[in-house]
Amino acid sequence: MTVERQDCVALDQFPVGMRVLAVDDDQTCLRILESLLHRCQYHVTTTNQAQKALELLRENKNKFDLVISDVDMPDMDGFKLLELVGLEMDLPVIMLSAHSDPKYVMKGVTHGACDYLLKPVRIEELKNIWQHVVRKNRGSNNGDKKDGSGNEGVANSDQNNGRANRKRKDQYNEDEDEERDDNDDPSSQKKPRVVWTVELHKKFVAAVNQLGFEKAMPKKILDLMNVEKLTRENVASHLQKFRLYLKRISGNQQAIMANSDLHFLQMSNGLDGFHHRPIPVGSGQFHGGAAAAGMRPFPPNNGILGRLNTPSGIGGVRNLSSPPSSGMFLQNPTDLGKFHHVSSLPLNHIDGGNILQGLPIPLEFDQLQTNNNKSIIAGNSMAFPSFPTSLPNNNNHLVLEGHPQASPSAFPGHQINKRLEHWSNAVSSSSSTLPPPGQNSNSLISHQFDASSSNYSIPFCDSTIPLNPALDHTNPRAFYRATDLDSNANVQPGVYYDSLQMRQSGNYGPTTDAMLSSNPKEGFTVGQQKLQSGFMGGEAGSLDDIVNSTMKQEQSQGDLSEGDLGYGGFSSLRTCI
Amino acid sequence: MDAHVAQLQMQYRNYILSLYQQGFLDDQFTELKSLQDDGSPDFVAEVLSLFFDDCVKLVGNMARALDQTGTVDFCQVGANVHQLKGSSSSVGAKRVKGLCINFKELCEAKNYEGCVRCLQQVDIEYKTLKAKLQDMFNLEKQIVQAGGIVPQVDIN
Repeated sequence: MTVERQDCVALDQFPVGMRVLAVDDDQTCLRILESLLHRCQYHVTTTNQAQKALELLRENKNKFDLVISDVDMPDMDGFKLLELVGLEMDLPVIMLSAHSDPKYVMKGVTHGACDYLLKPVRIEELKNIWQHVVRKNRGSNNGDKKDGSGNEGVANSDQNNGRANRKRKDQYNEDEDEERDDNDDPSSQKKPRVVWTVELHKKFVAAVNQLGFEKAMPKKILDLMNVEKLTRENVASHLQKFRLYLKRISGNQQAIMANSDLHFLQMSNGLDGFHHRPIPVGSGQFHGGAAAAGMRPFPPNNGILGRLNTPSGIGGVRNLSSPPSSGMFLQNPTDLGKFHHVSSLPLNHIDGGNILQGLPIPLEFDQLQTNNNKSIIAGNSMAFPSFPTSLPNNNNHLVLEGHPQASPSAFPGHQINKRLEHWSNAVSSSSSTLPPPGQNSNSLISHQFDASSSNYSIPFCDSTIPLNPALDHTNPRAFYRATDLDSNANVQPGVYYDSLQMRQSGNYGPTTDAMLSSNPKEGFTVGQQKLQSGFMGGEAGSLDDIVNSTMKQEQSQGDLSEGDLGYGGFSSLRTCI
Repeated sequence: MDAHVAQLQMQYRNYILSLYQQGFLDDQFTELKSLQDDGSPDFVAEVLSLFFDDCVKLVGNMARALDQTGTVDFCQVGANVHQLKGSSSSVGAKRVKGLCINFKELCEAKNYEGCVRCLQQVDIEYKTLKAKLQDMFNLEKQIVQAGGIVPQVDIN
């Protein structure tokens, strides 16, 4: 936990405190570089030997966020170092040289450098190098780190890879759009939620190992796994989480893979301590309804959110955004097992911090099956990410309705609110399709939002986000939104935390609303599909109960602070940005 | 005292300006100065001493490489020139950097005579710069000792 905190803290202030390793055999340049980096408020470690640099990096992959290296070094060619760092640690590397010859620049590019700076380096150039950390985290499949811990970066599954480049421009929006599109088709139908049991995960890992981690593609994995009713999206989202998890665990993915099955599952459960955080669910059905005081980044009620958020930040969001592949929850726990999360409860345990760590949520899912709060965590994380931060235009109208949170404040926040609204509307309209007009639901929704987030979050947590599709077949947007949210969350490490917070609050509202009012099952499935992180899983049967109970609770509580929902998040988001 | 300080400061200012005007220093030196603050009050002096140490080392390497009785390894010479170019550009040693650019071309052309001459020029140049900057530091010390503060010189 402590480590998490540190990571979180580092992330919050990102890029301040970004940990840079500077390598240059020229002591004059090294000294100047060190001073420039300090001026940018980065944390700097220097060495004039490439070999020493490798040692430092191998010692602890998570110790650094970025490497800056000279090209011409006596003990090792800078490009060689670049290659090794990229392969072994998957950290962003910036090349530095007095050679302005384009062929050197090209060499840097082909060897995988994130950037190529010419000496003498000016401070203006160094002020923006943190972007490479963020970019790497967002787009990296195998690698890691974004800011701070790099874990945050959303593991890109094949789906996201293509988007990595676009992210730069308008990450949130673009990602969302893409995801939305992806989700459109599959999401329109109710999909059973997938619960990643240990057996299932084992099959998954076996398939991945067989294909080779680097080459593992969801489609192929799916084929190899040969599990009925498992969709490519389910696999993709699980793969994403898995990758994140691996990154998190260690740099050596190969090693992890060998042991990952249980570890992965265990990690997810225990990571965030979600389990331990009691979420003020209020409903008896939820486990540990205690206040989620534990959640560091999020307010107690947002415990669930925290979880939700984190997945989004890390990869959970991504998962969500992708088409309901995450299939986390199966409404009909047939092949894949049953949902654990959906039911809720574990939300309390959501430990935002854990999620942030990027632990694979799905794992928790399995644990949830045991009706531990832990499972909630998984669910939560999923749910959160599913909220797309960016609202699709279509849904705008929905979102804006009567929900105060819909105010377009911080980016993520805004979206969250919109989503909330949307959800509310959807929810209020009852199991029928989402009511864009949601007039009647507006009031209900608002109320719901206000209701303790915990109530909402529980059922939603993982699947909630996807609710949109389920809730309103006609309103695929809602679904996407969720994903957007997730994607947004993942967008930036620094912002990540904040956005998570925001999201949390935001998610609570919408998720719960959606879940509660409308057909919970649908909501879940929808959400799940969207969520990718679909850890929510939980028992399908109980889901309804939970939803109902939460609804009641929510209504009774009605005191969910708006701040929780997202206002607070907004501000934090803002600062982050 | 004040008059004395003011005079020293004036002297200092003029001296710095002349160094820029004569091409000994360039903008990078200004950047270097800007990195010096209360947290690292001797930053410029520290970096410059590192630079001059590098100069000694690199010139020595090049002299040895060029002094080979057999075939001269111009690549080796070129590598050292490259490094000197990098560090001189980083500290703002404009003339030294300029010489390095020429030197590089000579190495690539494997012009032995040209390289030797250029190396001699580099040697003279960095030593000259070293002496001038030493004078500058001395002036700074005098100002401080006289109770004044070292003025920020605006090159523009």
